[in-house]
Amino acid sequence: MSERPQLTTHEGVATFAPRVGRSAAFFTRYSSAIFLVLLIGLEAGVVRFVIRDVRSANNEVQRMYASSVLGLHRIGSLQYDAQETRRSTLYALTTNDSNLQVIYADQSREADARVTAGIAEYLQQAQLPQEIELAHRLEQDWKAYLAARNEVLGTILEGSVKEAVAYDLAQGVPLFDRVRSDLEETERLYDEQASQRLANVAALANKTVTRLLTVLVVTVLVAGVFVWVLQKDKMASTMQMAKMQMDFAASVSHELRTPLAVLCSAVDNIADGVVSGKEQLAKYGAVIRHQSRQINGLVNQVILFVSTQDGKGRYLLEPLAVSQIVEAAAMGTAELIRKAGFTLEQNINPGLPRILGDLTALSQCLQNLITNALKYGDQGRWIGIRASEEGPKDHREIRISVQDRGKGIDRSELHHIFEPFYRAKAAVSGQIHGTGLGLTIAKSLAEAMGGRISVTSEPGVGSTFTLHLPVTEELGQSKDTVGRIVAQL
Amino acid sequence: MIRYPAIIGVILATATLIEPLPESRVQAARPKEGLAIVVNRDNPIENLSIAELRTIFLGERSHWPNGRRITLVMMEPGQPERNAVLQDVCRLSESDLRRRYLQGLLTGEVLVSPKTLASPVGVRKFVFNVPGAIGYLRPEDVDDSVKVVRIDGHLPADLEYPLKIEERSER
Repeated sequence: MSERPQLTTHEGVATFAPRVGRSAAFFTRYSSAIFLVLLIGLEAGVVRFVIRDVRSANNEVQRMYASSVLGLHRIGSLQYDAQETRRSTLYALTTNDSNLQVIYADQSREADARVTAGIAEYLQQAQLPQEIELAHRLEQDWKAYLAARNEVLGTILEGSVKEAVAYDLAQGVPLFDRVRSDLEETERLYDEQASQRLANVAALANKTVTRLLTVLVVTVLVAGVFVWVLQKDKMASTMQMAKMQMDFAASVSHELRTPLAVLCSAVDNIADGVVSGKEQLAKYGAVIRHQSRQINGLVNQVILFVSTQDGKGRYLLEPLAVSQIVEAAAMGTAELIRKAGFTLEQNINPGLPRILGDLTALSQCLQNLITNALKYGDQGRWIGIRASEEGPKDHREIRISVQDRGKGIDRSELHHIFEPFYRAKAAVSGQIHGTGLGLTIAKSLAEAMGGRISVTSEPGVGSTFTLHLPVTEELGQSKDTVGRIVAQL
Repeated sequence: MIRYPAIIGVILATATLIEPLPESRVQAARPKEGLAIVVNRDNPIENLSIAELRTIFLGERSHWPNGRRITLVMMEPGQPERNAVLQDVCRLSESDLRRRYLQGLLTGEVLVSPKTLASPVGVRKFVFNVPGAIGYLRPEDVDDSVKVVRIDGHLPADLEYPLKIEERSER
């Protein structure tokens, strides 16, 4: 057996293609659910945005409310206590009873302590420069008034009411007016700040609405794009499938028409009495038999394809020797090989472990690969079958390769040769008969047995299709036991 | 020229001469403590002689050295603190003091009429509020709102302190 030249390797292409195909099928099948999940995700994002903004607005409103209540309370208290300070001082003027005067003085001082504390608190919480300046001014004016108030109180308690009144009019009243003016300004400033906060809340609400609308628009746009992509893919897929079916119908029709035409012609000649003599009749019989078998083979291919695609094929799994499988395939294609003038060379390593599989399915798989080599390997008219055990210890596998020395497969077509009804350009232009189902069926059968098919090819040199079958370690069992394993794959 | 209110004052003052002795005078003697003389915290005065104190409490002095008018504050008649001041500072009985004030006001010898307050707290608050005020308090009634003045260089806790009062009875 001669060694073949090194080929450009496309190992794994065929295994990659099924994975992509499975992913695409999964995506196509669950596209609506995926779209729904994505849409829910988007909506959840929108809801999250809305909740966050609503909470933010709510917090701002609460802060504003608390600030308003606190601010109003603080300003109201300051104004009240300032008035109380002055009022109590003036009450002391209304009596000559020193005990009562002391009580009024006490009340005035308690009120002024509250005002002083309120101003200190206001100063501490003031943040804007205007607030701080106002707080300092209020503090100074209040101290000035308290000095005057103390003088008035002392004078009243001394018993000098007239002097107290005169001093209060001259000093106390103007100083208290300044305090009152400061407090009014504080209130006005507070009102301005409250208005600003209100405007901020309104701006936040507008921002929320804008953001919500933006996110909704984006969501709708994304959903629209998604639907458009889905529809486009589905449309393309549908059109491709329709084209394949048309090609399939045309191919099958073409494949059927030729033998049927020959059959009809032969039968007409016999019926019309054109055929005479035993020898001529035998010749016509052979033609009819050949064409009938060709039609039968074509119909069987179609039936086999349908059965492998709908996933309802039933297989009898049993321990098989590799040589048994190869031999069955070789016998099934011996006539074809002989007629095509090809040489079949087998190289099966000795001592290969048995594998678990369905003999008919695996034999058919190999037959399809051999038939494919017959169709496209006419240049070399040689087919090599090699079987070996390969792979790492924990992942041993049997590799049965079918090699030809034909025209090879173009690199751009390697991804498509396992697709149903696919015909290579060279096959079409070369008028090589076929349905485009042989490799598809082989791949489906290999996968049904837990294996796969890989391909390497180099245009002008040839191709090698390799059937990978996993080695099952526990195959020491008896044939009867395993033979009962019937898998629906 | 005699005025009617002054005549009424004299009559009232005379009436006090027949008042019974205060109950405190007939009680058994208790341990004594110093009676603090207090002034406003702004008053720069730190020390007074017992003689100066007497002129102040008899209304014979009207202003402090800083120019502030003196406002004399006393507790109501019958209070032990008042009695101690009458005895140790004024060296007068209640009736003599009243008579002296009334006569002094009429003659112009008395320049300051005392303010009368009902409680030590009232006295303390009065002194706190009036810059020129001076009064008296037991040590336990004194706080930071008023200033204690030395008498003849002594504080109430000193043994040599001249102004003493029986300690307040526990109730």
